[in-house]
Amino acid sequence: MSASSPMRLYGSIQLRRNRGLAGLYLVVAAFLILYAMLFPGILSIGGFSKFTQNWFPLALVTMAQALLMLNGGITLAIGPLVSLGAVIAATTMEGALGVPGGILAVALAGLSIGAVIGAIVTHLRLPAIIVTLAGSFIIGGVALILLPRPGGFIPDWLSTTLAGHTPVAFVLLVVILALWKAFLATPLGLGIYAAGDNPVGAFRSGVPVERVKVVAFALSGLLAALTGLFVAAQTGSGDPVIGTPFTLNSIAAAVLGGVGFLGGKGTMRGAICGSLLLSVMINVMFFLGFPPVAQYVAQGLIIVGAVAVPELLAQWKARR
Amino acid sequence: MNTIRSAFRNPPFLTLLLVALVWIVASFTLRGFGAYGHLRYLLELAAVIGIAAAGQTLVILMGGIDLSVGAVITVTAILLPLFSPAWDPTGLVGIAVALAIATGIGLMNGAGAAYLRVPPIIMTLAMATFLQGLLVIVAGGSAVTVSNPAVILLGQARPLGIPAGIILWLVVSIAILLLVHRMPIGARFLALGANPLAARLSGVSVTRNTLMVHTLSGFFAGLAGILVLGMNRQGYVGIGDPYLLTSIAAVVLGGTSILGGRGTYAGTIPGAILLVTTTALITVVNASPGWRSIMFGTLILALLLVSGREARR
Repeated sequence: MSASSPMRLYGSIQLRRNRGLAGLYLVVAAFLILYAMLFPGILSIGGFSKFTQNWFPLALVTMAQALLMLNGGITLAIGPLVSLGAVIAATTMEGALGVPGGILAVALAGLSIGAVIGAIVTHLRLPAIIVTLAGSFIIGGVALILLPRPGGFIPDWLSTTLAGHTPVAFVLLVVILALWKAFLATPLGLGIYAAGDNPVGAFRSGVPVERVKVVAFALSGLLAALTGLFVAAQTGSGDPVIGTPFTLNSIAAAVLGGVGFLGGKGTMRGAICGSLLLSVMINVMFFLGFPPVAQYVAQGLIIVGAVAVPELLAQWKARR
Repeated sequence: MNTIRSAFRNPPFLTLLLVALVWIVASFTLRGFGAYGHLRYLLELAAVIGIAAAGQTLVILMGGIDLSVGAVITVTAILLPLFSPAWDPTGLVGIAVALAIATGIGLMNGAGAAYLRVPPIIMTLAMATFLQGLLVIVAGGSAVTVSNPAVILLGQARPLGIPAGIILWLVVSIAILLLVHRMPIGARFLALGANPLAARLSGVSVTRNTLMVHTLSGFFAGLAGILVLGMNRQGYVGIGDPYLLTSIAAVVLGGTSILGGRGTYAGTIPGAILLVTTTALITVVNASPGWRSIMFGTLILALLLVSGREARR
C-alpha cells in the first residue's frame, strides 16, 4: 500500500458522492449563467455581496434542516427559531454587554433550545415532527413576548459589516462549511450519518445514537438562531415573525439538494446547492417581474419536478 | 383487572378520559364553561377539525402525511361561492363542484406520490404552495360571501337542537371507522403503513391504495371546507390554515403512530375535542398572543406525553 492510498480512497468516495449531484450542479450553473446574463451587476464585488447576502440566510437554515434530515429527523421549528434569534439579537445588543453579549445570547439560546428539543425527542421517544411542531408554538410565543412588534436595536456598524458592500456573508458561509467538514471527520460527526442510515447498526457498532441526535438538534438550533442574527443585522431591527417562510423553504431546499427523508442519504454540499438553486430562482422570478403569487405556483412545480424527474429517469432506465 | 389495565393502555380511551376530566374540572371552576350551549359549541368547532382529520388519519395510518389539508379547505371555501350557479335553488351543484375539485386535488397528490414517487410530505407541501399562489390569483385579497342555501343550512341548521355539523361529523366518523376496521381496504391501508414491503409482497397494490387515501383525504378536507364556510358565511385566503396543524395534532393525540400502521380514528375524535377545549381554556385565561401560543405548545407537548408515545425500539 502506498502512502497516497487513503487520499485516493477519500477522493474516489467524494467523486462518487458528487456523481449523483451532477444534474443539480448543471442546473445551478445554468441558472447562475442566466442570472449573470440578465443582471451583469452580480459580477462586481458589490453585486456579488448583495447576491450572497440574499442567499446566506436560506443557506444556513437549509444546513440546519439538512443536518437533522441526514440524522433521520426533521424540524418544523426552524422559522420560529430564526425569529427568536433576530429578536434576541435586537433586544440584547443595546444592553451592558453590547454586541459580543448579544451574539453569545443568540448562540446560547439556539444551542440550548435545540438541545432541549433533541432531548425530548430522544429520551421521551416522541416523534420529531410533532415535538418540533409544538415547539414552534412555544418558541414563536417567546419571540412575541420578548418583542411584541418589530423594533429593537442593531448597531449600524454590525449591519454594514455583515450586510454591506463586502462579501463577508460569503466568507462566513465558506467558514461554516469548512467547520462542517471538520466536524464530519470527528466520530460524533460521522455518527450523525451512521445513526441516520441505520440506528440499530450504528448503536451496535458503538455510536452513541442518543447523544448524536441531541447534538444534531443542538447544532441545528444554533444555525437557525444565527440565521436570525444575520437577518436582524440585514434589516437593522428585530421582527418576531420574520422567520416564518424559512421552515418550508429549508425543507424544500434540502430536498432539492437530494437529502432524503429517511436519514443517511445525501450531502451537505447538495443541500447548499439546493438552497442556491431556490434562492436564484426566486431572485430571477422577482427580477423578471413575476408577481409574488406566481412565484408560489412556480416554486410548487419546481419542488415536485426536482424530486420527480430523477425518479422518472431512473424508472425509464430500469425499463429499457 | 386485566380489562381495566388494558383499557388504560388504550390511547383512544385515555384521550377520551382526559377530555372528560378537563371538561369536568373546567365546568366546576369556570363560569359558563359547562353550559350545554357552550359544550355544544365546542363540539361544533371540533367537528371541522375532526372531519379534516378523517382524511389525515387515513394518510397517516398508511405512513404518509398530508400537508395540503389547510390549502384544500381554503380552496373549497373560496371556490364554492364562485361555482354556485344562480339557477340552482338547492345549492347542491355548487357543493358537488367544490367537492369534486377537492377530491381532484387529493387525486393529484396521490398520483404524485404513487407514480412520480415523490414523498407524500413533499408532494402535499408543494401542492399547498402551488394552491396558495393560485388562490391569490383567482380570488385576490378580498373575502367572498356565501349565498348557497345548502351550505348555509349545513352551517346553521339545528335539527333536534343538534348542529348539522355535529351530525355530519357523526356520519363521517361511522363511515371511517367501518372503512378502517370492518373493510378489507382499511386492512390494506394499515398493512402498508406497518410494513410496505411485506404488504406489497403479499399482493397489496401500493399505487392504488396511495391514490385512494390521498383522494379520500382531499374529499374530507373539502367537506370540512364546506362546513367552515357555512359556519363563517365567508371564505377568504388563509381560512383553512389553522386546520393543517390541528388535523395532524388531533391524529397524533389520538394515539395514532405518525410512522403509520398503528392507530384508529376512534382516537382522533377525542383528539379533536381535546384540541378545541385546550384553545377554549387558553382564551378564557385572557393572555397575550405570545403567552397563548406558549401555553398551546406546552399543552400539546404535555398531552403527547400522555397519549402519543412511540413504542420502544
